[in-house]
Amino acid sequence: MGTLVKAVGLTKTYGDLVAVAGIDFEIREGECFGFLGPNGAGKTTTVRMIHCVSPVTSGTLTVGGMPSGIRNRALKMITGVIPQEINLDIDLTVAENLIVFARFFDIGRREAKARLAELLRFVELEAKAKSKISDLSTGMKRRLLIARALINRPRLIVADEPTTGLDPQARHLIWQRLRQLKAQGATLVLTTQYMEEAQQLCDRIVVMHQGRILKEGTPGRLVEEEIGREVVEVRVPPEDDARVLAHLGGLECAHERVGDTLYFYCRDGHGLMKKLLELDLPNTLNRPATLEDVFLKLTGRSLHE
Amino acid sequence: MSLSYRIAYVFLRNLYSYKRFVVPTFLVSLVEPLFYLITFGVGMGAYMGAFGGKPYLDFLVPGVLVSAVMMASSFECLYGTYIKIVHEKVYDSLVATPVSADEAVAGDIAWGSFRGLVSGTLMMAVALVMGVAPASPWRFVVLLAFMVFMGVLFGSLAMIVTSVAPSFDFFSYYTELIITPMLFFSGVFFPLDHFPGWMKTLAQFLPLTHAVRVSRAVFTGEPAAGLGWSLAGLAVLAVAVFTVSIHMMRKRLIK
Repeated sequence: MGTLVKAVGLTKTYGDLVAVAGIDFEIREGECFGFLGPNGAGKTTTVRMIHCVSPVTSGTLTVGGMPSGIRNRALKMITGVIPQEINLDIDLTVAENLIVFARFFDIGRREAKARLAELLRFVELEAKAKSKISDLSTGMKRRLLIARALINRPRLIVADEPTTGLDPQARHLIWQRLRQLKAQGATLVLTTQYMEEAQQLCDRIVVMHQGRILKEGTPGRLVEEEIGREVVEVRVPPEDDARVLAHLGGLECAHERVGDTLYFYCRDGHGLMKKLLELDLPNTLNRPATLEDVFLKLTGRSLHE
Repeated sequence: MSLSYRIAYVFLRNLYSYKRFVVPTFLVSLVEPLFYLITFGVGMGAYMGAFGGKPYLDFLVPGVLVSAVMMASSFECLYGTYIKIVHEKVYDSLVATPVSADEAVAGDIAWGSFRGLVSGTLMMAVALVMGVAPASPWRFVVLLAFMVFMGVLFGSLAMIVTSVAPSFDFFSYYTELIITPMLFFSGVFFPLDHFPGWMKTLAQFLPLTHAVRVSRAVFTGEPAAGLGWSLAGLAVLAVAVFTVSIHMMRKRLIK
């Protein structure tokens, strides 16, 4: 498939602060591409440049072959944005939100009405058409944001942390809808801090940290390459490390001590567990490796604020 | 500047949201002129006797008319716009659509001008009921057009203040130190003839002085000296202030 978004040396600075430090990436037509990273990694800044609301400081960024830029109306016409912050128009009703937004895209009244009905059905808000925004739950507001982003039938959908603050039901409904959109052929650009979300939705991801891209790949391969297949967590005091490691002897396993836990990253978790059982430790856990392990390994375990 | 017909979409958005506030704003817009015209016009006017051969109310109405436009358009582009930027995030969602930041701002200035027109028209209606009317019907139409123009001028001026406002409190500087004094130094309530020389000079730098002069000349049909200069000055100022306001708001909105 062709490339829809291409960034070369993409950089964004605010005064002395470097938010995005010369990154390269390519997003293919029809895929779901995820930006992962802790707070302040530069994810939102990057996608804001993709959907043309933030000027590029240096480097190049093209969408559909056109250079991205805040004056590029043609790109904004084919892009739908699901923002991180719920910025629905609280002075308007649910239906009015969509009707007014349709006008911004030069969509006529009759066409807007037709899309309104279709989109409210899609996000299961038909019964709420006349409601005030303040009467909606957070999940409903997020769904309405999705409907609003789809009003112009976008080719590129940018979703910036679309499920923040949602309960599992609402989150799964949103994931369903996003997958449905992708199946219909839209290209999805997603930022998230939820590893499960990335694993559920993304074909390819990049892990960002301090304005740079640390790794790129499919979620499965990144886990495999960075961590392995399995993780064993042993909750023992640090003074026991030497004893445990000595006992495991020949097993090939990377290990890491973090706080109260000793982590083992390995292919043969089963064999490791057998050995550990001989030590009769009170608190051990064998589980599959996840993207979260990759994330923490790459971006460090300290807090990012 | 990137301006197009899309300004109308922003205006439309405001019109939709206005539905909810139309009753309270009409009430406020009616109470304000009644307050001015009754207290000053009727109450104070009784002590003033004839004012250039006419009742004081006749002197007062054309000035209060443009003041009402100034107040309404200023407040809309101060508080109204600030709420839309900071609290409601309307601008954030707007700039992600084909509507440009420039158009969003221009649409809000147009909206401020409309709110000014509504206030001015209600003021005129109250004046008509009290027996003060423009010298001829076409003058009424010219006044409406002039109100739209003044709404753009004062709306843009307010927009410049909004573009640098860190919080609501900031607006008090503008309203208390610029708008309110302007009301009393621009010949709205009394002629400027008895001001000392420096105050007369100062008044010439206030846009409201010229707006009142134009409004009064159109309303009464009495010729005024320097009317052409007043109009030209207002036009130049409006273009300058509008351009600057769009430029400064763009700086605030695009990061």
